[in-house]
Amino acid sequence: MEMTRTDLVFVGLVVALGVICYGIGGTQAVIDALLQAKSLLLSVLPQLAGGLLIGGMVKQLVGREKISTLLGAGAGLRGLIVATAAGAVTPGGPFMSFPIAYALWTAGAGAGVLVTYIVAWSLLGFVKLTVWELPLMGIEFTSVRFLVSLPLPILAGLVAERLSRLRVFHFDTGAER
Amino acid sequence: MTFSLGLIWFIATALSGLVIKVAGVTGLKAAGRESLGMFKPLVIRLPCALLAAALLMQIAPLDPVSKLIGSGTGMPGILAASVLGAFLPGGPMVVFPIAVVLQQAGAGVPQLVALIAGWSVFDLNRMLTYEAPVMSWRFAILRFLSCLVVPVLAGFGAQLIQSLSGAP
Repeated sequence: MEMTRTDLVFVGLVVALGVICYGIGGTQAVIDALLQAKSLLLSVLPQLAGGLLIGGMVKQLVGREKISTLLGAGAGLRGLIVATAAGAVTPGGPFMSFPIAYALWTAGAGAGVLVTYIVAWSLLGFVKLTVWELPLMGIEFTSVRFLVSLPLPILAGLVAERLSRLRVFHFDTGAER
Repeated sequence: MTFSLGLIWFIATALSGLVIKVAGVTGLKAAGRESLGMFKPLVIRLPCALLAAALLMQIAPLDPVSKLIGSGTGMPGILAASVLGAFLPGGPMVVFPIAVVLQQAGAGVPQLVALIAGWSVFDLNRMLTYEAPVMSWRFAILRFLSCLVVPVLAGFGAQLIQSLSGAP
């Protein structure tokens, strides 16, 4: 097993917190923390495994090109709705979503569509939801948060469309930034 | 917890069926490799993140948390959580364990919804490392401004649902 720098940061964090915890609460506090971490891990693992599987499947089903074609179609409110759906199914981290957004920008997509897409990806991203939120926060919390967040990417897109008419934010396409 | 487990595996199974239909067994194998690839970096980090969260729960002064974003704090709590969310460092592996700690420390559901939404849309870390370099600062600022009310509305919506369903 190879340790990366990020792994070391995490291990260092645990060691530092462990020392502080021992200093404040003694051995019992550290044992309590270990037991709690263990039960958390055991409840998260089976869900995380399923979540990662979902992530892999979604990546197989929706490639970068598919999302781009999807987003190219339609303007106005319909465009924003499509952008919301596209953002929600875009798997992966910012290394996936921002290059897609940039490609769309150079292809002539408006500020509203781009902002809606990015916000939908960050707020409703299906993979993040199933891999992390559902296992750790539970179904009740996750569904409430998802439900109230559903219309918000479109709202942000409408605001962005308005703002982009201001001179400060005026840009034609990403190609000439 | 068992219900969400069932749901997750139901979705995973349904998607596997879809992948086989669209891309055949080769596609399924590729998806499996993809999943395994996502799992590998977690082997050390996930137990560490959860342990760090559990240790934090033991030592963090939890009183101020419940005062600031507790279930009784209403709109000021939602606003505070929205701002707090923007400054949470790192990805979901760090943020969701922190949210669990805050939940157990007495943070309210609307406030936590605002916190997660605030982190999702603002994430200053991501803005610096991805959004500004790829999309330009002008776009990043435009998007930032367009999202200002998003976490607050999310928290408000959650509060509305909570009061409609009669939860405390």
